[in-house]
Amino acid sequence: MPDNWTFVAVAYGLTGLVLGLYWRHLVRKEKELRQIKPSRSVTGVAEHNHEPSRTGHPRPKQDAKSSLQQ
Amino acid sequence: MSFARRAFAVAWKDLLMERRSKETLNALLFFALLLLFVFQFALGPDRERLAGVLPGVLWLGFILSGLLALGRTFLVEREHDCWEGLLLAPGDKSAIYLGKLAGNLALMGVVETLVLCLFVVFFDIDLGRAFPGLLVVVALGTVGLAAVGTLFAAMTTHIRAREVLFPVLLLPVQVPVLLATVKATEALLLGEPLGAVAHWIKLLAAADVIYVVVGLLTFDVILEG
Amino acid sequence: MVRALGWISAAALAVGLVMAFGVAPREVTQGNVQRIMYVHPPLAWVAYLAFGLVAGASIVYLVRRRPAADRLAHASAEVGVLFTGLAIATGSIWGKPTWGTWWTWDARLTSVAILFVMYLGYLLLRGTVEDRERAARYCAVLGIVAALDMPLVHFSVYWWRTLHQPPSLMKPGGFSGSAAILWPLLVNLAAFTILFAYLVAKRVRLLRAETEALA
Repeated sequence: MPDNWTFVAVAYGLTGLVLGLYWRHLVRKEKELRQIKPSRSVTGVAEHNHEPSRTGHPRPKQDAKSSLQQ
Repeated sequence: MSFARRAFAVAWKDLLMERRSKETLNALLFFALLLLFVFQFALGPDRERLAGVLPGVLWLGFILSGLLALGRTFLVEREHDCWEGLLLAPGDKSAIYLGKLAGNLALMGVVETLVLCLFVVFFDIDLGRAFPGLLVVVALGTVGLAAVGTLFAAMTTHIRAREVLFPVLLLPVQVPVLLATVKATEALLLGEPLGAVAHWIKLLAAADVIYVVVGLLTFDVILEG
Repeated sequence: MVRALGWISAAALAVGLVMAFGVAPREVTQGNVQRIMYVHPPLAWVAYLAFGLVAGASIVYLVRRRPAADRLAHASAEVGVLFTGLAIATGSIWGKPTWGTWWTWDARLTSVAILFVMYLGYLLLRGTVEDRERAARYCAVLGIVAALDMPLVHFSVYWWRTLHQPPSLMKPGGFSGSAAILWPLLVNLAAFTILFAYLVAKRVRLLRAETEALA
């Protein structure tokens, strides 16, 4: 069977390209964010990431739910 | 109110609404009929070729009708602003899931019966001995479709792209059900006994159990807000 | 810590590459195209690993509601879809000269294709649900449903292809088990896994930074 080096090259090349581009995308995004918000202490903030509403409205639903669901 | 009664109440309300308005049912039945025409035109008049793909086409009909029917599961609640009512319902919310599932099964049952009859007529199929086995396969497949469909319908209710996202999420998950039902139907229509497709039946049964259990367990989570 | 992971994965990949071309011999039946075996199975393995991680993190999120679990699920899905797509692509590229066709509905390829579509659905759901907390919940449910579904997919696809239809095509990847082929494979397997860990760690960190920036 012929060696089909083109296929090998494309396979390896595609893998390297896609993963490399994604890695570069991540690196760039991080740089971007670091410029917008200079790094601050992470410990106190991380825990509340998914709970507070971004619009600033309080979330009474949380309490109401727990009192209704026995 | 007990769990079963609540589930029954939801199902009964939906069925009653449907019986009065008939808007979903009529549209679905008409859709099923149209599908048959489309299939016939798409596949051509060649009898031999049709016979080969018939089981697949039948289930395509079920699934396409099912996508329409199941996608509308929570339409009423959304359009009439009753969604919050579901959220605030006391007790175990999975009773709502069960009720909605039961309603969907009834709806699908009517549609599938019609599709099957139309198929027998249009494509001149002799069901004969295959009928009981076919009933089992169709029942199991429909439960599988509706179980996940009801859950995903709740998830996609509030998304603007729900008409697209609902099939996109549902179809990959339903691949085992589709493969099992088509293969089993094919074998049954060729005259094989139900025992010959036992592995497919078992797969369908396992799938149904998994889907319904997951639906019951996670519906509360979907309905949190 | 993440940076260390990055350096390790780069080193591992380098070693893997050298071994794939330097150590591994030219395969007898397939020729050098068989060297694709040093990327394709590792990619496929990571694809499944990522999926399992999505499922596990989803369960943890539903039970504990820890944002970190949700971030892990999200990141794993994103990196996972890349690895899955590459697994399919490299499998297809490998298949063309060996099987003679770009695609065939054999059991393994079909399963991976369905896995890919499920990943896409997961990410689509992420993208379309606007509220972050709701997206986390919905995706967690989807992740669990999809993960429980995969065994069913495997069996149904396998039966679909092999019952009454014995595979008549040669499957690439059947290796004799010689050390010269095994070691490059194992090294690459490890290298890609470390790379996956690195990319997920970076993505998780980015997700956390993104939510902080919006808070």
